[in-house]
This record gives sequence, structure tokens and C-alpha cells, in this order.
Amino acid sequence: MAQTQRPKTLLDSLGEEIIRILTPVSICMFLVVLLVSILNSSSSLSVTSIATIAYSETSSDSSWDKFLGALLNSLAFVAVVTVATFILVLFFYLRCTKFLKIYMGFSSFVVLGFMGGEIALFFIEKFSVPIDCITFLVLLFNFAVVGVLAVFMSKMAIIVTQGYLVLIGMLVAYWFTLLPEWTTWVLLVALALYDLAAVLLPVGPLRLLVELAMSRDEDIPALVYEARPVTHHDSASGPVQRRIWRGRQNVTLDSEDNLSSNINVNVVSDLSSTANIVQANHSGTRMARVEEGQVSERDAELSAPLIDRRMDGQDGVLAESLMLEGMGLGSSGAIKLGLGDFIFYSVLVGRAAMYDFMTVYACYLAIVAGLGITLMLLALYQKALPALPVSIALGVLFYFLTRFLLEVSLYNVL
Amino acid sequence: MTVAAGIGYALVALGPSLSLFISVISKKPFLILTLLSSTLVWLISLIILSGIWRAFLPLNSTTWWPFAILIFTSVAFQEGLRLLFWKVYKRLEDILDAFADRVSKPRLYLTDKMQIALAGGLGHGVAHSVFFCLSLLTPAFGPATYFVNSCSQIPFFLVSAIIALAFVTVHTFSMVIAFNGYTEGNKVDQLFVPSVHLAAGMMTLINFAYDGCIIGIPLLFLMVILTLMHCRRMVWRRLTENQRQGNS
Repeated sequence: MAQTQRPKTLLDSLGEEIIRILTPVSICMFLVVLLVSILNSSSSLSVTSIATIAYSETSSDSSWDKFLGALLNSLAFVAVVTVATFILVLFFYLRCTKFLKIYMGFSSFVVLGFMGGEIALFFIEKFSVPIDCITFLVLLFNFAVVGVLAVFMSKMAIIVTQGYLVLIGMLVAYWFTLLPEWTTWVLLVALALYDLAAVLLPVGPLRLLVELAMSRDEDIPALVYEARPVTHHDSASGPVQRRIWRGRQNVTLDSEDNLSSNINVNVVSDLSSTANIVQANHSGTRMARVEEGQVSERDAELSAPLIDRRMDGQDGVLAESLMLEGMGLGSSGAIKLGLGDFIFYSVLVGRAAMYDFMTVYACYLAIVAGLGITLMLLALYQKALPALPVSIALGVLFYFLTRFLLEVSLYNVL
Repeated sequence: MTVAAGIGYALVALGPSLSLFISVISKKPFLILTLLSSTLVWLISLIILSGIWRAFLPLNSTTWWPFAILIFTSVAFQEGLRLLFWKVYKRLEDILDAFADRVSKPRLYLTDKMQIALAGGLGHGVAHSVFFCLSLLTPAFGPATYFVNSCSQIPFFLVSAIIALAFVTVHTFSMVIAFNGYTEGNKVDQLFVPSVHLAAGMMTLINFAYDGCIIGIPLLFLMVILTLMHCRRMVWRRLTENQRQGNS
């Protein structure tokens, strides 16, 4: 029987890019849910940060007060983020890329070292791990430095870089879940709206950034997760593909690249000092990229079956094939997702985990659906799109639907 | 009863689906996407149903017939959705075939189509078990356990895990049967699936009686075995027919 020699059908390779970006997002969400459920109410530390600068929620306030307070908090946060992004655009315009990269490295180090250290301390406290100061410090320092190197320079194995990016996302997301409840939800919605405005409006900072990068043919320095490119067999290399790549450069979801840097790291806990160390990190993004080296890799990665086929370069066919391929049907080029997207998806799911497991599942599915829709829109419109709004909208919707409809019904029936 | 027991219950409900996932579905990315979308569809159907039924709850738990109506309407709604799912799948199949022609790859084989149906069914099953079993398991990770009247010999969590296992299997394979029935226009298959679903649902009503699960659960598994056998027979028939067509 010739069963084993049957040629492979579409089913074997279709949708691979989408899965390659879905997997790290899922892993990050899963890790945050795990962290939240293990460390749940073990520490009642109140995080004072820019996000709670206007109002600190206490459980005795009325709903309307809480809502108003949360709104004020979110507005303050979004304002700070906007200012920070504009400063970032200014720096990029003045070509201070080196400075941005160094700042990125510094931010990474702080996140990995201090936040990672705090969480490690929680674990040590909770599980009574016998470890001494010096060993702990040495391990932590090494961990942080390797992380900075992995994110900064891309000469490492890509799995290490990707792993560290996911870890950074997870750490920041966990810290965000420590915010009070109403503030978190309103903040998520506010950020989704900001994202929409910043990427799509002509005056939006992120759009300016993308256009600047495009016109200078440079890469944006940013914390971006890049899915490993799907390598297909040979294809003709050369200028044709390079042009396609440049043309497609704006097909990145770099909405959150810069936002990832714009994370306000407020590190104050009752346990440590009383000083409010409020660091507004603009995310300069450390684009962990070796520019030249990666370009040649890009040529290889562009060898998609569709691109091969349209060697004649006719635009009509090209557009069509790009469109189909953008939908994930055998596409070329790696999909890039900003780290901020990882963070806020995980914050949503982590917050849902603080309620119940059912809401986690519903929110996870909603976010994945939103991401799928965004990817499809990406293929359709062929320009940089914000990745937050659709997913956050669906996620919040499903959270409230599940919490107030499904749960009540199921618990009554069972 | 401790983390080990909690994980154990979760695996009782989801173990076979996990192995199916790892061995068949994780190899092909498109199947993972199918699984995710069918889970989402099932979740949406649950939300809509609970929205409709919210007005009538809480039900009087001493009589059984309101629950019967609840089950009947839920099953009817979900079977309707299954038909819709099939129609969408048909359109998708046409798109995929056209795309395959353009990329000059072979069209979808019969086994591919069955795998897509399997992934869809598995999505439904996993969604069912997560919502009806796993979401209740959070207390099981603690130090105590819980018994109910309808099954006084074994813990409640174990009962719900076993029932969830039965339903996962029924959902997974009835999707394969249903897709095949709709494709071939085979009335027997088309009617088989809703009736098995309904019967399985109704059988859980037996649990109302004291120690009712002694009868209820074996009957439920009888339905499962029926589904499995029917599916096997159908798949075997289709594959041999296909092969004969291919050879001749």
C-alpha cells in the first residue's frame, strides 16, 4: 500500500505561524495564573504606584466611589504612558538609539533582578526554602544578567531569548495583578483605548514611531517577541524578497512594543523601605537584534511557498498571495508581538484567576479569539495594528458574562 | 483531598483527551486552531443558554422535570449549533481545497477531514469537562473531601470526573459521526448523534435518586460504548470504501 508515501496535504503545515505566536502567549498566561493561585493571599502588600496615585481602593467604599477612583487612576496612568511614549518618539527622532538601548537593558535588569527577586522571596517565605543570602544574591544576579544579555544581543539560542522575554512579561504581569480590582479592570480598558488611538490616529505616538522607522529603514528598538520563523525549503533569494520584507515591515503588531517599555515599575512594598521609588521606564525597547546579521536570516525566512510561486512579481498575484498568506495560510515572515501585549493579556487572565477557574478559561479563549481576529485583520489591512483592543474587549466581556451568568446558572443547577 | 488527589481527579476527566491531543492534534497546527474555535463555540452556547435560563433559576431541586426541560433545551440548542458548525466547516473545506489547488498540493484526504472532525469534537468535550468538572475541583486541592446523597460511597469529585470522562468521549466521537452523517446524507448517523446526546443527558437525571449513580453511571458508559462502536464501524466502512475507490 502506498499509504505512507502519500504527499503531505495542507493540513500538516497550515496555521503554523499562528500557533507559534499562540504558544508563548499561552505559556505566559499559564505561568501568571499559576503564580497568582500559589501566591494568592500570602502577602497583603499594597503596591503604591503611579497606577494608584489618584485613589487607593478600600473595600468599604461604595461601588460608585470605587469606579470613579479607578477611572482617575487609569487616566493618570494613561497620561503618564502617553508622555513617556512621546519622549520615546523624540529620542528616536533625534537618533539617540544607543541611549534607548542602554535604557532598555537597564529596565530589563531591574525587572528581572528586583521584581524577580521579590517574587522569589515570596516563594522562599511561603515554602520555607533553606537558602542563604549570598547564594540567593549570586543566583539572582546571574539570572538577571543573562536575561539582559539574551534580550539585548541575539547571538544566543533563540529559545533562551524567547524564554527570557516570556519571563519578563510574566513578572511584570504578576505585579500588575497586585493592583486593586476595579483599578485593574478600568486600567485595562483605558489602555486598550489608548492603544487604539496611539496606533491608528495620525497623531498617535506609536504610529509616528512606526512611520519614522519605516522612512529611515531602521528597526524600532523595542521589546518584541518574535516567533521563530517558519523555514520552508529553498526559494530564490535576492532583491525581490528583500523588497517584500521591507514592504511588509509594517506588518508587525508593534503597538505594544513601546508600551512594554512604558511600564511603570513602582516598587514599594511594606516589607522593604518606605521610600516610594517610582520609576517610569520608557520602554525604549531594546530591540535585541543584530541588524545586519538578521537581515540575511530574514531572506531565508521569507522563503514561503507562496512567495516562491509568484516569481513573476505581478502585483495582482502578489497582493492576493500575501493576503492569503497573511491569514496564516502558509505565510512567510515571522509574526511579531510586542511584549506589552503579553503583559496585559496575562494581567487580564491573572485577574480572572483571582476569582475562579471558570473565568480563567473563558478569558483565555476570548483573548485567543481576539488575537486570531487581530491577525486576520493584519492580513487584510497590511499595516501595523494595535493588538490590545479586540482581545481586551472580548476578554472583559467574557469575564463579566461568565461571572454573572454562567457561574450562577451552573452552581444552581449542579 | 490534597494536591495529588486534585490532579488525579483532573486527569481522570481529561487524561484520554490529553493523550489524544498530544498524539494526534498537537502535530498539526490547524487542528489546534479547530480545537480552540470549537471550544469557544461551546462556551458561547453555554453562555447564551445560561442567559436564557437565568430567569428561571433557582430551580426547585426536589422535582426532576424542570431539569429534564433544561437538559432537553440545552441539548437541542447544542445540536443546532453542531449543524451550524458543520456548515461553516463545509465552506472552510471548499476554501482549503481551492487553496490547495492553487498551491498545487493535494486536496484534503478523508483522514484529514475526519481529523478535523475529531479535533472539533475534542474541543467540545474539553469545554464540557472544564466547565462541569474542573471548575468544581478547586476545593479538592485542599485537605478535605465531599460526599453527596446520590453517590454516597465515593467522593463527589470522583463522580463528577467520571461523568465528565463519559461526556468527553461521547462529544468527541459523535462529532466524527455527525460530520460524516451530514456529508453522506446518512439519516441514521444524523439522528444517532442527537439521540445519544439526549439519552446521556437524561441519564444523569437518574442521579437524583439516592445512590442513583450505581445505575446511572453504568448506563451512561453504555451510551459511550455504543458511540464508540458506531463510530468505529462507520470509519472502517468509509476507509475501506475510499481505498477501494482509490485502487479501482
